[in-house]
Amino acid sequence: MSTVSFGGISPTRLALGAVGVGGLLWGVWSLLDDGTEALVSLAIWLAGAIIVHDAILAPLTIGLTLVAAKFVPPPARMPTVVAFVIWATCSLAFIAVLSGQAGKTGNETILGRPYALTWIAFTLLIAAAAAVASVVRARR
Amino acid sequence: MRLPKVEDIEARIPRPEHFDESRRGLPTTSRVGRALGIAFGICFLTGMWSHFQYTDPAWLPIGPDPAWLYRWSQGLHIISGTAAVPLVLVKLWSVYPHLFARPPGKEDKRALVLEALSRLSIGVLVASSLFMLASGTLNISGWYPWDFSFRRTHEAVAWIAIGSLVLHIGVKLPLIRDGLDASIDDSDNHNDGDDDGDTDDSAGHTSRRALLAATGAASGLAVLLTAGQTVPFLRQVSVFGVRDGEGPQDLPINRTARGAGAVAGATSPDFTLTIMSGEQSVTLTLDDLRALPQTTHTLPIACVEGWSRSAEWTGVPVRDLIAMVGADPKSTVQFRSTQTRGAFGSSELPSQFTEDSRTLLALRLNGEVLSIDHGFPCRLIAPNRPGVLQTKWVNKMEVVT
Repeated sequence: MSTVSFGGISPTRLALGAVGVGGLLWGVWSLLDDGTEALVSLAIWLAGAIIVHDAILAPLTIGLTLVAAKFVPPPARMPTVVAFVIWATCSLAFIAVLSGQAGKTGNETILGRPYALTWIAFTLLIAAAAAVASVVRARR
Repeated sequence: MRLPKVEDIEARIPRPEHFDESRRGLPTTSRVGRALGIAFGICFLTGMWSHFQYTDPAWLPIGPDPAWLYRWSQGLHIISGTAAVPLVLVKLWSVYPHLFARPPGKEDKRALVLEALSRLSIGVLVASSLFMLASGTLNISGWYPWDFSFRRTHEAVAWIAIGSLVLHIGVKLPLIRDGLDASIDDSDNHNDGDDDGDTDDSAGHTSRRALLAATGAASGLAVLLTAGQTVPFLRQVSVFGVRDGEGPQDLPINRTARGAGAVAGATSPDFTLTIMSGEQSVTLTLDDLRALPQTTHTLPIACVEGWSRSAEWTGVPVRDLIAMVGADPKSTVQFRSTQTRGAFGSSELPSQFTEDSRTLLALRLNGEVLSIDHGFPCRLIAPNRPGVLQTKWVNKMEVVT
């Protein structure tokens, strides 16, 4: 065999691994000077991120998928999936401005829009688009 | 009734093969992963660039040209981060069943150790990636529900995230290649054979193609509906943007005079500006400053939060002011503010900015006297500088070198 390899692993992969571990360790090392309070707060955020995703958001999505598979008629399935992906991921991307908790600094030049109302309109628009697409597909 | 045994509980936990794989699988994961990798790469590089613009490292003397550079790099940082939110969620959804894979048997110690390391590194990747997106999103909306320094921690965890991502790519490279080579329509569940190019099969199963299109659309829509604070022509479209670009004198603000505790010092009738260089010093009143030759330049304010906006600034070039105390135009100058609260009450202006004639101690904005929230009576404005280093309510300038 002419390809160079180390224990079956290509040099490219070994280099990526080494660079990756290097970056990772640099990040950890640059955190070590921080105080306990800051590190505890960061640890809560890191663990919280995994818990919120793996134990809440993902099971919720799986549950909704199962319900949808049972009750949504075939012509409406594709529009429902597309609408849900767009609606759910975008809503999470906008969560800070939707929370009502952000930017309480007495600064009137931020968060000046009616976000909750806009989000309701956004939700209705996506639902309407999915409904129209479903009807069109059912008639075809 | 007997108590459930470990095996009974185990039997109730789903296995990877219990999940619907018709839209998941390597072709989906590798394609969404590739887009996410590009978004994270851009986000990491522009983020590091921002740290360089803050810290001004000696080996990388970032100058005043082009004046729009930070506006673009930081706008791109926020845009790529926002685009990554739908991508990361769909990417995680596509591999979620693997979370339920059972560990190898106890007899194969090597496989067990490898499995543990693999799980650990993926846990670090997922936690750090979600942290980066969550902390960044909250920061740009002015919400800081944590006890760490955002700038330091967002930078350190960025290294952890990008490091574990590169490691992940190294580990999964053969799988990534297989996934990208495989047709997007490849599926074990597709057995109907009526491949008419439609986006789903006769049973109504949505294809990967539709899922990927939805993911791309979500990513683009998330950007479109927020990027108006950076991209002027999207201002009316970005209904979920943190800023609508409005503010006193047609310019948004980050920190108000009240929030910075700067009102009393800035509005005092006894306000003076002191300029120092070694033994020499000069003290100017606001009338003295207004009597000096003024110049006008159009420069953007570009903040780390990703918003930016151009404005017309009128004031005295900083190089002319330090000439009054006999300092060379090529000097580093420390600016101090009357503000009494919060970070960035002072900033250091590197010499390459000081000597640029567009670097002003501004007295007027868009044709009017500076409003108190924009730094009345006078503020620093230099081309290509992060917004927080454009010190407001300046009352002291000291030539450092």
